[in-house]
Formats: sequence, C-alpha cells, structure tokens
Amino acid sequence: MSGAGATPAAPEKTARPGGEPPILRIAGLGKSLGGRQILSGIDLEMARGETVAIVGPSGAGKTTLLRCVNFLTPYDEGRIYLGDELIGYRENGGQLRPAHDAVVARQRRRTGMVFQRFALFPHRNVLGNLIEGPVHVLGLPREAAEARAREALREVGLEGKIDAFPDELSGGQQQRVGIARALCMQPELLLFDEATSALDPELVGEVLAVMRRLSEERRTMLVVTHELKFAREAADRMVFMENGRVVADLPTRTFFEAPPTPRIEAFLRAGGHS
Amino acid sequence: MIEFALAYAPRYFMGTLVGLGLTVLAMAGALVLGLLVALGRQSRSRVLRAICVSYVAVFRGVPPLVLLYVVYFGLPAWAVQSGIPGMVALFSPLDNRLASATLAFAVNAGAYVAEILRASMMAVPADQMDAARSIGMTYPTALRRILLPQAFRIAFPPLGNEFIIILKGTSLASVIGVTELMRTAQNVAAATFLNLQAYLLAAFFYVALVILLQGASTLVERRLRRPGDHDRSLIV
Repeated sequence: MSGAGATPAAPEKTARPGGEPPILRIAGLGKSLGGRQILSGIDLEMARGETVAIVGPSGAGKTTLLRCVNFLTPYDEGRIYLGDELIGYRENGGQLRPAHDAVVARQRRRTGMVFQRFALFPHRNVLGNLIEGPVHVLGLPREAAEARAREALREVGLEGKIDAFPDELSGGQQQRVGIARALCMQPELLLFDEATSALDPELVGEVLAVMRRLSEERRTMLVVTHELKFAREAADRMVFMENGRVVADLPTRTFFEAPPTPRIEAFLRAGGHS
Repeated sequence: MIEFALAYAPRYFMGTLVGLGLTVLAMAGALVLGLLVALGRQSRSRVLRAICVSYVAVFRGVPPLVLLYVVYFGLPAWAVQSGIPGMVALFSPLDNRLASATLAFAVNAGAYVAEILRASMMAVPADQMDAARSIGMTYPTALRRILLPQAFRIAFPPLGNEFIIILKGTSLASVIGVTELMRTAQNVAAATFLNLQAYLLAAFFYVALVILLQGASTLVERRLRRPGDHDRSLIV
C-alpha cells in the first residue's frame, strides 16, 4: 500500500517529501442514512501539504464525506485515520465502539472546517468569532488568542473588520472570516464544504483567492467545490464522486487533460454542474 | 376615589412588592426547571425524555390554583400522616406560605418555560452547532457558548410574556394568605366596605406594573438585538 518506490510520474507542483505517512487515510468508508447508502467503499489518502479537490454532481456524497472526516456525521463502515488516530471510534479487538464526546471534540481540533453558509456566530463580532476556539477550546490566554486572530485576519485580508459583526459584512467577507476562524485553531487539515456556493458571483473571486493562497502556502486542504477553474489551478489531485463512490482519483492535469470516463468528460464540459 | 387611592396606596404598594418578589423567585425557579427539562427532552436517554415530556404534559394541565392547594394544604399534612421518615423534614418548609406559592408557581411556569426554551433552541440554525463542534467544542461548551446565548435571545420576548402571566397569577396566592396585592385589596375591602374602590385600585396597580414591565422588556430587547440582527432600522 505504501509503495515506497512507486512515486507518481512528475509531481505537478513542488516535490513532496516522499515516504511520509499520509495525514489523512480513509479506508472502506461507508455511510447509510434511513436505509439509503450515501457513501460506499471510499478509499482516499492525502499527504501533508496537499490540496485535493472533490467534484461531482450534487447528491454524490461529497459533503457527507467531508463531514465524516471531522465526525460531524458519524460513519458506519470502514475507518478514517488522521495521522495514526482513528476518528470517532475506539478500536477494541477489531470491534469499533463510539469514542467519547470529549475525545471526538479533541480530534476535531486537528481539522478546521469552512461551511457553505459560513456559520459564523452572529452574537459575537469578528474577533469574538476568531478567539472562541483558541480561548474556550485550546485554553489560550486572551492576548495570545487575539494575536492569532489578527494574524489570521491578515491572512484573509480583513484586518480592518476585527470589530464588525457578521451581519455587517458581505457574504465574501463573512466566508473569509469563516476561513480565518478555522485557521485560528492551527489545524493540520482544512476542510472546505462548497465554500463559495452560497455567494453572489461577484464575491466568489475574493474567497477563491484566499483559498488559492492557502494552497500555495502548502496547507493541507480537502476541498469540495463546483469551481472547476479554481480546482484546476489549485488542486494537486482531483477526486470525482458519483452515487456515493469515488469514481476517479487522479493528478489534476491528467484529470482535466485526459478525463478517464465519458461521464467525467461530459461533467467537465458542462462546467461541473451536470 | 382619589382620596381613597392616596390613603391606601402605600399598603397596595407593599402588596405589589410582595407579588413582584414572588414572581421573580418563581421565574428564577421556572428558568432552572425549564432549562433542565428542555435539555432533557433532547437527551439520548429515552427514560429522561419521557420524564421531561410527562412533566410538561402534567404541569401544563394542572391549574395553578389546584397546584397551590396541593402544595400548601396537601403535602405538609400528608408528610406528617404518612409517617415516612424524612418526609416531614422534606415538606415542612411548605408550611411557609411564600415558599409554597413560589414552588407551585415555579413548577407551573417551568412547564411553559421548557417549551419556550425548546422551541428557541430549535430556532437556532443547525449549522451553529456544527460550527461550534468543528472548532473542537464539547457538547456542554457548545451549548453554553454558542447555542444557549442565541436561544435565550430568541426566547426573551415569550419569557417576558411568561413573567407577566406569573405576576398576574400571584393574585391566586391570596387564597393561602400571602399578603400580596389581591390579599391587600381584600383586607381593605373588608375593613372599609368600599369593594369597588378597593378592587379597582388593585386592578390599577396590576396594570401599571405590567405596563412598566412591558417597557423594561422592550428596552432589554433592543439591547439584545444589537449584535447579530439583520434589521437595524428598528433600533433608535
């Protein structure tokens, strides 16, 4: 499995450190809800510093897959490992038992999530949104948390909005605060759940620009998106999902230049919305 | 009438304070009970959920006056007769009129407050809890820091309404001898035979108090609305 010698031909961006164990490893993942199989047999690995885009038609299970990674949605088959930590369960002689709430909460510190509809805390201003996790989850002193918040706001270009309330910001600004909130936890893996789908077209660009920059900084990012142009520019690998399965998992250039199936070719021609 | 009002206003004022104090205590109890029951209804334990649903069903159904009689006349006397050790110690505080009234009104209002809080928690968008969990909050922390502050904001107007309902309900405590506003009016009426004046003056005090409370709650509502509200045009 961990093919030490089998390096893929010509890495697309900078070379990645070889031999390092994957930061994320999903094996045989399955999830059913109300008798319907949402996900089945998902295998996926990510190396540290990698950006992976998940595309596919709506209802393919992309968002569910993402939510399984930080256990907002519990899965019921297979395993998800972050580093070597099993997510959401503890293993006891081959038997999986649900992990305690506090354990799952601790595991979630390692991932950051950006939501389709931002999900900022409306009763707190931008600073309050950003320090909520560092202060009340990590137990950082307030000054340290504020320093992190300022740094994160610089990263998303919103230093001037530190005192604003979410409803005083545009959708694009709110989503950049959402990204900053995730960054403040200094996660090992960033999860983006259709981060631009709820935005007016003219606001999409500013959010994608931030995401592109984070990808260039070699943050580890798992991105569910309909923005094929962004994916093509920012992602190292493309994962195509349909009917709860991973249909293709290819280097970005291969995926776009030589789509492996007619279905994917049609999907790409339709601009990622078929 | 004016002379009458001026002469008896101080006594009525004292009665009003007693009623208001009783309301504050009962409301505090109802909030604690209501919060526990509202959370209990979302518990994973079926037994706990059933207990909470039953509490709401029973105490929304029992008229407060009946509850008051059960608590004040019923429980302490039963404790003595039953001969069960500890019962007397447990229920003897209910020989106190104010304690009995507070308990009865708190338990009664608690059922309504539970429903108000449950509905308010459900009105907070689900992704708020997702966001809180995604940054690593445990369930209790997410509840305390994210869900409940937003739920209480939504709950404030109906809770204010509940407060006023309890306040008017305290007039029932007159039947067990709590000298609140209604009891004061009864005493004055008995002493002066001026029934109409005595009870009209009580009515006036109730109305004045409710209007004051309404104004206060509007002020608080405006303050609560400021952060995170979409309609700033309502703010003066």
